[in-house]
Amino acid sequence: MAGKSGRTISAEPRGTVKKLLFSWESAMVLVFLGVILLGNVISPYYTLKNVFREMPKYLSEIFIMLAMGYILVLGDIDISVGSIVCLSATLACIADNAGLPFVLVVLICILTGLACGCLNGFIASHFTELPTMIITLGTQIIFRGIAEVSLGPGGSISLQNKDAIKLLSRKIGIIPVSFFVVLVFALIFIVVLGRTTFGRKLYAIGSNSTAAKYAGIDVQKIRWIVFTVAGTMAGVCALFFLASTYGASTTTGQGFEMEVIAMCVFGGIATTGGKGKLIGGFFAAFIIVCLRIALGQINMNTQLILVIIGAMLIVSVLIPAIGNALRLARKKAEKA
Amino acid sequence: MRRKTVSLLLAAAMMTSFAAAPVFAEEIETEEATQEEAEHVYTNAADGMTLAIVTKAAGNPYNEKEAEGFTEVVEGEGGTVVVQHPESATADAQIAVINSLISQGVDAIAVAANDTNALSAVLQEAMDEGIKILTLDSDVAPEDRATFCNQAGVQEVGQSLIDAVYDLTGGEGQYAILSATSQATNQNAWIEAMKAISEEDEKYASLDLVEVAYGDDEYQKSTDQTEALLQKYPDLKVICAPTTVGIAAAAKVLQDQKSEVVLTGLGLPSEMAEYIGDDEEHSCPYMFLWNPIDLGRLAAYTAIALVNETITGAIDDEFEAGDMESSPYTLTAVGDSEEFSEIILGPPFKFDPENIEEWKEVY
Amino acid sequence: MNKKENGIFRKITGSREASLLIVLIILLALIELLQPSFLAPQNIAQIFRNNALTMLMALGMLCVMLTAGIDISITSVLAFSGMTIGLLQKYDVIHNTLLLFLIGAAIGAVCGMLNGLIISKGKVAPIICTMGFMYIWRGMAYVISNNAWASAEDVSGFSDFGKSGAPGPYIILAIAYVIFFIVMKWTRFGRRIYAVGSNAEAARISGINVDKTITLVYTIMGLLAGITGVLSVSIYGSAQPNMQYGKEMDVIAACVIGGVAMSGGRGTVVGTFMGALIIAVIAKALPLVGLDSLWQNLVKGIIILVVVILNVVTQRVMDRRALARREM
Repeated sequence: MAGKSGRTISAEPRGTVKKLLFSWESAMVLVFLGVILLGNVISPYYTLKNVFREMPKYLSEIFIMLAMGYILVLGDIDISVGSIVCLSATLACIADNAGLPFVLVVLICILTGLACGCLNGFIASHFTELPTMIITLGTQIIFRGIAEVSLGPGGSISLQNKDAIKLLSRKIGIIPVSFFVVLVFALIFIVVLGRTTFGRKLYAIGSNSTAAKYAGIDVQKIRWIVFTVAGTMAGVCALFFLASTYGASTTTGQGFEMEVIAMCVFGGIATTGGKGKLIGGFFAAFIIVCLRIALGQINMNTQLILVIIGAMLIVSVLIPAIGNALRLARKKAEKA
Repeated sequence: MRRKTVSLLLAAAMMTSFAAAPVFAEEIETEEATQEEAEHVYTNAADGMTLAIVTKAAGNPYNEKEAEGFTEVVEGEGGTVVVQHPESATADAQIAVINSLISQGVDAIAVAANDTNALSAVLQEAMDEGIKILTLDSDVAPEDRATFCNQAGVQEVGQSLIDAVYDLTGGEGQYAILSATSQATNQNAWIEAMKAISEEDEKYASLDLVEVAYGDDEYQKSTDQTEALLQKYPDLKVICAPTTVGIAAAAKVLQDQKSEVVLTGLGLPSEMAEYIGDDEEHSCPYMFLWNPIDLGRLAAYTAIALVNETITGAIDDEFEAGDMESSPYTLTAVGDSEEFSEIILGPPFKFDPENIEEWKEVY
Repeated sequence: MNKKENGIFRKITGSREASLLIVLIILLALIELLQPSFLAPQNIAQIFRNNALTMLMALGMLCVMLTAGIDISITSVLAFSGMTIGLLQKYDVIHNTLLLFLIGAAIGAVCGMLNGLIISKGKVAPIICTMGFMYIWRGMAYVISNNAWASAEDVSGFSDFGKSGAPGPYIILAIAYVIFFIVMKWTRFGRRIYAVGSNAEAARISGINVDKTITLVYTIMGLLAGITGVLSVSIYGSAQPNMQYGKEMDVIAACVIGGVAMSGGRGTVVGTFMGALIIAVIAKALPLVGLDSLWQNLVKGIIILVVVILNVVTQRVMDRRALARREM
């Protein structure tokens, strides 16, 4: 039950090999390869060096995507993460400008995220009647509101002490440090969700929270923890975001929530809970990032890129339905 | 077991796909080298240059006009243009676009910045790659760019606006400002200049600025804010809106309500034609703006001069700007700075009932 | 909470709408205290006019949420329809107000039907499907606009319909609310929506065409979003591709505050009206009460969160009392 795929291409795969070949995750790999190929065909600038150079801007979102995967598996949603990034980045900049040592700045950045996530989790676990969408809609406005108030009339702040933060945007060869950090985090999150009791509990809650409760799982405690983790990851995201901007403003992180949810869903994680693997989301994230970079390099209309991503999202979720319809048609034909 | 195979497969696939890319990389580098050689042959025009302009966001005619002027000049001089309108009016969206332009190895990027601070990292990177950076319309921190094409000096805009308020109030009384967002760099600078001028000069002592409201460049919020201003301050005489969406929203409110309050500020002639007039039927007697097409053209000439190294961005540098009115332009100091320069397009232009019919067709 | 308070509580929380009314009255009383002219007729008229868009779309969202769905593509559909009819006027194709409304409504209905078909036939989660279309229609609005706006002059005759003092927006609002009130309360279609939302399986067994109902519900939502797009152009005298960006969340908040359950099956037109009104009052009051503009978003968020939590708390008290009475 744990780690079952959100989507399969064929509904009743027979045999392990077939299962492997027709799983959503391996389809993701193919699409990923396709995107890389496409990039190479359409853009002469699509080199390893350039792709890695453009990547850090998007990489920071993957931190949130990992935690959002957990939240979606629970059957919940968190649309306040973008605002948490804004608040964390803002407070970190303020702390930095006040002359605090870099370690403290990092701590403030991450702890702000943790505190925000903890508040989300507290409300979600104590007022269970409320859908998390509406709770986090409220906190979304509040967190960004706090950032607006602390930024004051200018609405924008720069990081004075840039040397320390540059450590995070350094490169090993041509590969940015943040890429390795993302890999490490991804590995931890994927393993915890796929192979530990904690992960299995998340699937159990997402599939049927009442049953999970009767099976002795402390549902509310786990939801609280997961929301706190999501907030913390938003704090981590803010840190790496700062490394690629050296500043924050009231629009920082706007729209991140929808982008990471799109990554998760494209990767096969169902918003209804209990289904999907994080590795799918991880690959989906890289597909979207590499596609955006490729289309950006041929200077495609930025709005058209969004149209394409939207269409990809819809097509991807329709594939199981199309597969089913085809199989039904074939069965009918066989009978006749 | 199965899962292990999957992960191995995934990892392998990822590595091979990345490894496949460098094959193409080498081809590009040789291409770039020939391009560089070509540049040395032509030194005066924009032949062989690729110049990029990054506006504030897609879907705004003002930005489109800037890009239009930029394109016209660069193509006229024989260069290649890349126009990029980011998906939204945020620094975040601009970072993605500029990153992509760095990959494309353009020669210069002109940016209308959405944020003073948040573009710092990516612009530094671009300059490290040897790309000339200039800003237009809205500046970044001066160490992140070579120079700034200022549509009109901050002081001049502030002076024109406060004089308009002085004129429309009859020299005394309450006025309010309806701005864009609280972090809009330009609007904040102009408002500060207005405040400073009215504090320094005795002439404006009887003017009373009651509130600076923010409409976030949204119609609904700007309408709410305008209505609130009217209600809160019954003695209000003038609203000054130095932002294109704000002024249009406020103009509609005042005109529909047949309010006594009059409006001035900065707006696009094509958007405001309906509201400009001296009689009681119209809410805005006159307003100001500069020509965004000219601003784009100036940015193009500046970019070409930077790439040709006619100018370096130092104060007192001078360059020719084709058939533009005030050519040649000189780089002047930003405020009291001894290091950082800007180029001022000219004084803001006044749109009144006499000339609006003519200009609304242009932009 | 002591006994006496409980007594009063019981009276005022006899129904969910009544408790909402109390919240609204408290809110209004507070604002009136800070800004005495708030309830002037002109001001009330402005509240309805400037929030007509949210109020109109909230009706569609009510239907969608009754079927346990959600639609976050509505403001994108709004922008697409609004931009289309703006451009039709800009390039002097059509200037007839009624025809423009029909075109906008048709565009919206088609967009909505696409949502509905994919959600019902494709068994796609509503939030995902509508998220995809959120990107698509917004992007299309930008693409067709080609970086131009339809300006006040372009839409001049048409915008008289929604200008301050004109009855247009109020009439549309009144008609829509009356129709929805009747349909949701007294018609078979209304009951079908509630049935699908409460228990889709049971509804199917009792002979309701669930897929058709869901498709229809999203079509209605799209239709309303399309009309709202036209109305928006008329009220603000301008069409831009980014109009009403992000406002879908206001509509959802209005519904949730109005007691519509996101899990489906529960919610009324009256509740939705009150929820939308609360959101509208907050938007109108915040700039008026002399609050520093920097604090306005923060306060708005806090009010929304407090109102929904308060709703939960009162509901819990009511349930406990009902349970206690049954046990006696």
